[in-house]
Amino acid sequence: MAAPAPSKGRLFCAKVMANEPVASEINRIVLEAPELAASLRAGQFVNVAVEGEARQLTRIPLSFTDTDERAGTIELIYALIGPGTRQLSRVGEGSVLSVLGPLGNGWSIPEAAKRALLVSGGTGTVPIFAAALALAKSSTIADVVVGARTKDLLWGLAALKEKVGGEVIVATDDGSAGERGFASEPALTLLSKHPYDLVLVCGPEPLMKVVSARSVELGIDCEVSLERTMACGFGACSTCAVRTVHGMKGACMDGPVFDAKEVVFP
Amino acid sequence: MSASLAVNLGGIAMKNPLNTASGTFGYGWQFEGFYDVSCLGAITTKGCAAEPWEGNDQPRMADVYGGMINSVGLQNPGVRGLVEQCGDYLSGLRAHGCAVICQVAGHSVDEYVAAVELFEELAPFASGLEINISCPNIACGGIAMGSTPEGAAEVIRAVRPRTKKPLLVKMAPARVPEIAKALEAEGADALTLINSIPGMAIDVHTRRSKLSKPTGGLSGPLCHPIAVRMVWEAAHAVSIPLCGVGGVRSGEDVAEFILAGATAVSIGSQNLFEPDCAPRILAELETWVEEQGTRDINDLRGALEC
Repeated sequence: MAAPAPSKGRLFCAKVMANEPVASEINRIVLEAPELAASLRAGQFVNVAVEGEARQLTRIPLSFTDTDERAGTIELIYALIGPGTRQLSRVGEGSVLSVLGPLGNGWSIPEAAKRALLVSGGTGTVPIFAAALALAKSSTIADVVVGARTKDLLWGLAALKEKVGGEVIVATDDGSAGERGFASEPALTLLSKHPYDLVLVCGPEPLMKVVSARSVELGIDCEVSLERTMACGFGACSTCAVRTVHGMKGACMDGPVFDAKEVVFP
Repeated sequence: MSASLAVNLGGIAMKNPLNTASGTFGYGWQFEGFYDVSCLGAITTKGCAAEPWEGNDQPRMADVYGGMINSVGLQNPGVRGLVEQCGDYLSGLRAHGCAVICQVAGHSVDEYVAAVELFEELAPFASGLEINISCPNIACGGIAMGSTPEGAAEVIRAVRPRTKKPLLVKMAPARVPEIAKALEAEGADALTLINSIPGMAIDVHTRRSKLSKPTGGLSGPLCHPIAVRMVWEAAHAVSIPLCGVGGVRSGEDVAEFILAGATAVSIGSQNLFEPDCAPRILAELETWVEEQGTRDINDLRGALEC
């Protein structure tokens, strides 16, 4: 039967190996799902079902930071922002969760890139972390700007500094760590300082808008990863709409990563 | 010998009563990675208009207690786009014994007529057409036309002569008995009920709607008892077959609709939460029919004892 190709996402029963705070109201969960761990690419996501919370019947879309193919595990970092993620934070080690993945397209990580700029804000740091690890395995030098509202929301900086070849710059809205202000400020400074050939951004839309606009002006390939509320994750419900120059697309199947030139930011 | 589950929904032969609620099942192919979709009695495709619609702004959905609320606004590629993208797949599905019901959207009587004519011309794979006069998320058409007996009748009167295919109507969760009677009188072959229930979800911290519009459509388990009651009311009002829709999670939920008088039953939001749910629900339904000591599911339709 000829038809558009369905999502490669499959349902897995994943064992919880760890589920613990890494920052204020931010948790790390490690799931054992060997087939999924082997197939996930940086920038893709999974949809996790939580049980026992009537306010969260849809699966929660979550990004991963890292996979360990030998252990067959994936690491997801999530903010406790609603009843669903709070319920997820109560799931104990040894429990089994239904996980749907891999979903979405992921970052394109070109072999030829010499120097890349990665910029994140808030939970956008999760897929940026995955991109940084993927680039660390290549010859690309990556500079990373991590933005957060305040110091207590930062995590993973030591690992990031250890893995990436370039600078790691922190910006907090209140100045409690790193530079005071949004991640866009150091990002724009770096853009004028180094000859980048790749820019990846994930965070609040104003951040993505300003950094991607400057990158495009400079003629640098730029990708953004967009967050949307979604009910399915595999192209059936049309809820995760993204306005693009080619019309409405879906974050789950056409994204979440888009060429910045394609996205129409509000 | 196992029980027969075959039913006839207003001229649409189905090998079992399971259908899918439009808008929760894409165009069917999205689920082929999870199970063989042709195991279903029918699928109902996402509502499609004569010309493409881009739908509403995001956010288009939010989680609510016991379900979800959406405001997709019937984003669709137009009938030509649907046929081009999915026509081969849907023809194959029908050849494998799964009926294909195509939902029709419009902003006006003329737009419904135009879409029906295009389906009639371009979609030989369609086993039937379901006219959606109850979408809560579009500015005109949809529920604005389907929430009175007069408005609903006007649409069906206009489209009925344009197709020989079985004509179903997707009903709003309002004034069910009187609107059902009006639709039957205009020649509808079957009724699908209920569409999502108009509702609101507000973020009290930002004082904004959780959707891009103030209101949206509620779906999920919270709707189930309401939908069963409305199917039961419709079954007492009309003699044409009914397709029950609303919060189905299990074979028992399907059984409730059948006992209330439904011929077929659609799985809706559960397709999104649990994408491989349909084969499980079908097996549970089969077990229930056998436990009831009958060889034919048609014996159980409307068999509520009260």
